Amino acid sequence: MAPMIGIIANPVSARDIRRVVANATNLQVTDRANIVLRVLAALRSCGVTDVLMMPENGGIRGHVERGLVRAKAHGEPHYPRLHLLSIPVTGTVEDTHRAAAEMRKAGVAAIVVLGGDGTHRAVVSRCGKVPVAGISTGTNNAFPEHREPTITGLATGLAVTGQVPAHIAFSPNKRIDVQVNGSRTPEVALVDVALVTEGFIGARALWRPDSFRELFVTFADPEVIGMSAIAGLLEPVSRAESGGLMVRMVPPDGQGPRAPVTTLNAPIAPGLMVDVGICDWRRMPPGMPFVPETKAGSIALDGEREISFTARDHVSLTLRDDAFRTVNVRGCMHYAAQHKLFAAAPSAVPASAAKYQLQ
Amino acid sequence: MLDNPFPLNKTDLLKAYRTMRTIREFEERLHVDFAKGDIPGFVHLYAGEEACATGIMMHLNDNDRIASTHRGHGHCIAKGVDVHEMMAEIYGRATGACRGKGGSMHIADLSKGMMGANGILGAGGPLACGAALAAKHRKDGGVGITFVGDGASNQGMFLESLNLAAVWNLPVVFVVENNGYAEATAMEWAVSCDSYIDRATGFGLPGVTVDGTDFFAVHEAAGEIIRRAREGGGPALLECKMARFYGHFEGDAQTYRAKGEIEDLRANRDCIKLMAARLKEAGLAAQEELDVIDQEVAALIEDAVRAAKAAPLPQPADLLQDVYVAY
Repeated sequence: MAPMIGIIANPVSARDIRRVVANATNLQVTDRANIVLRVLAALRSCGVTDVLMMPENGGIRGHVERGLVRAKAHGEPHYPRLHLLSIPVTGTVEDTHRAAAEMRKAGVAAIVVLGGDGTHRAVVSRCGKVPVAGISTGTNNAFPEHREPTITGLATGLAVTGQVPAHIAFSPNKRIDVQVNGSRTPEVALVDVALVTEGFIGARALWRPDSFRELFVTFADPEVIGMSAIAGLLEPVSRAESGGLMVRMVPPDGQGPRAPVTTLNAPIAPGLMVDVGICDWRRMPPGMPFVPETKAGSIALDGEREISFTARDHVSLTLRDDAFRTVNVRGCMHYAAQHKLFAAAPSAVPASAAKYQLQ
Repeated sequence: MLDNPFPLNKTDLLKAYRTMRTIREFEERLHVDFAKGDIPGFVHLYAGEEACATGIMMHLNDNDRIASTHRGHGHCIAKGVDVHEMMAEIYGRATGACRGKGGSMHIADLSKGMMGANGILGAGGPLACGAALAAKHRKDGGVGITFVGDGASNQGMFLESLNLAAVWNLPVVFVVENNGYAEATAMEWAVSCDSYIDRATGFGLPGVTVDGTDFFAVHEAAGEIIRRAREGGGPALLECKMARFYGHFEGDAQTYRAKGEIEDLRANRDCIKLMAARLKEAGLAAQEELDVIDQEVAALIEDAVRAAKAAPLPQPADLLQDVYVAY
């Protein structure tokens, strides 16, 4: 029997203030539903027959079910069977937490996630060793790679059906655990943890560089946007190498606790380039708890303020190598090409090759 | 900065707290007095939703105009309408904001930029667009704000207003107060595409969703949206996810709500409790300071009810007064 795949599609990602303070996009519900249909078609073509989906009341399910009914009426066997998890819908991140945990219990072979960095973080915090295939439908999307979802669906299908060897099909990823007052269940960040002086969660996003103080990243890629772009433009660290980077920041105008050694103009949100005062940066080795210098403010996980803290709270951050797995889409698709996995006759050679051989 | 991690100083934070407490106390009192049969007409209570009106209105001045809904008491109080005049209006007394002839769903005070609560669902959209058009022509930096519930957002008038605002690039903000129910119908049964943000996007407006029970979230997002409108950036939509503590109207049996839902909202999503906890945690206000505000607010509401009950009723001869405005 073919393995089952989970799909968690967040209907409410990409709705925050960055639509106003920057010019971030809004992916509409119908587009999100169409992405799910594309992923389903891709999974079916790789032999996946059953998919378990998170229920939501945001409109995605209705559009997907309509698409499936229409396909059936046309006699098109394009899609796997769709099963809905039996969990209550609250319209909050709790749905994603519960769905990831239930899918893990149900033994899915992978979870396809539609959302931004926040949705992916919520899934990873509950899915354990189940690999994740990320599709970006959020605002910053430093974590999920930007790619046509059909390809992500194909790679996931190839990976879970064993058509691509596991050591190629899946990649290890890093994570930062954040503990406040020694909390038993740490909060996690997949890309970055930023400490800012604003002591309230408010509209969550970060766009005022005067408040930025410390940044810890699992990888620093100059090709992505968001807080990790600051680290990426200082000293790139790949997703594959061990450890991350930490950066200390001050107001760029020199009015902060110390003077910046340089000022960096960084894309911290879509279309939003700001000057960030930098006073120090260094590598962040794995497994070592870091206690931030910032005494009060809030902690932003993957670009969104989540926890406010005061001088009475003890905060520590630890980077973990090999913390969870993702589907290696690039690896899977190149393997598929090399081994002609999508060809009816994998050993066929081009007619032109035969012609050249004759010459 | 570290001493006050909030975007407002202590005076303004306590002012916001006082406004939210005033709305709550006002509504809780109406809940009791309506059940006793003291109040004519219908009332729709705003209890639980105070952070939305307060967080938005703190960015407005008397020249900015708002168009409210049938659930308008909170908007009125946050916009600065006199509480005594409001109470008298709801009690149908001649000393009321509209001489006692409008009642709960028609409280207006143009001197405060409050264009009126409104019993017609979705009708605030065109009014706010009109106010915004006037501000745009006067070039006075004013904005128009309309509030609309999740149910009324299905009305044609509201959708036409989104279009008009975009076409004329008006300094107007559409606030969808999403408390999850259109009267008794849960939004997922009645709102196509299930996203107000998508609707705004369809007309070319940016849309933002915030937790409407978090004063700081509403205040911060509204501040950016209103500033953008004042600067000529055009209209936008703000969806606030709210918690309605009472029924659609007073007397609503609320059979459509899950068991324990209201208790859960009051325990975990009470915007006033959440704000008070945050102020105390940050060391910006002691419980004693908040208690003093609570007592002053209770006295204010008590006095407003006493004065309303003692005030005269409008007379038949007053019926045709104030119907038309002379230019």
